[in-house]
Amino acid sequence: MGIIGTASERQHAHPPERADEIGAIELPDQDGVQHRLGDYWKESPAILVWLRHYG
Amino acid sequence: MQLHRERQALEETGAGLVLIGQATPRHAAHFRRRQDIDLPVLADEKRESYKAAGAKVATLSELLGPKVAAKGLVSSLRSRQPQGRTIGHPAQLGGTMIVRPDGSVPWSHMSEDASDNASPAEILAAIREA
Repeated sequence: MGIIGTASERQHAHPPERADEIGAIELPDQDGVQHRLGDYWKESPAILVWLRHYG
Repeated sequence: MQLHRERQALEETGAGLVLIGQATPRHAAHFRRRQDIDLPVLADEKRESYKAAGAKVATLSELLGPKVAAKGLVSSLRSRQPQGRTIGHPAQLGGTMIVRPDGSVPWSHMSEDASDNASPAEILAAIREA
């Protein structure tokens, strides 16, 4: 690992073809309420955005 | 958050929008207030979902190289909002993914460097086809 946690070798993003693993993850929202990610696309498609930072 | 500014167009597609950041709920609450976002923002302090989504950790040049810095400057000037203090893993990149109700992923754009983000127009086009 390089400085400030950077990778020492170039990686490649590898998004999955299915979101089953992501869907099983539970995360808290800004109020601490837990949400299961899979619930967001149970009835209609969902757009998931992973922010690089809260900046 | 350019995508959030396209909220109306997104809502017309019927798709849900989920924002995930890599810090605590308290940081997520601060981010929502600062960016004037009324959507829930989820907090993934352990970056579990980032790993499952195949998001990468950048090298130093992918984070701070000349191309990345130039695009970041242009983006800040356009939005008139400078980047705030980095919270979480500084080299963790993000991305965008569309998931259908059957769990399939018809489209994704995970960042290859810190300046590599899908445009709202690209995301809207992709969700309209999903």
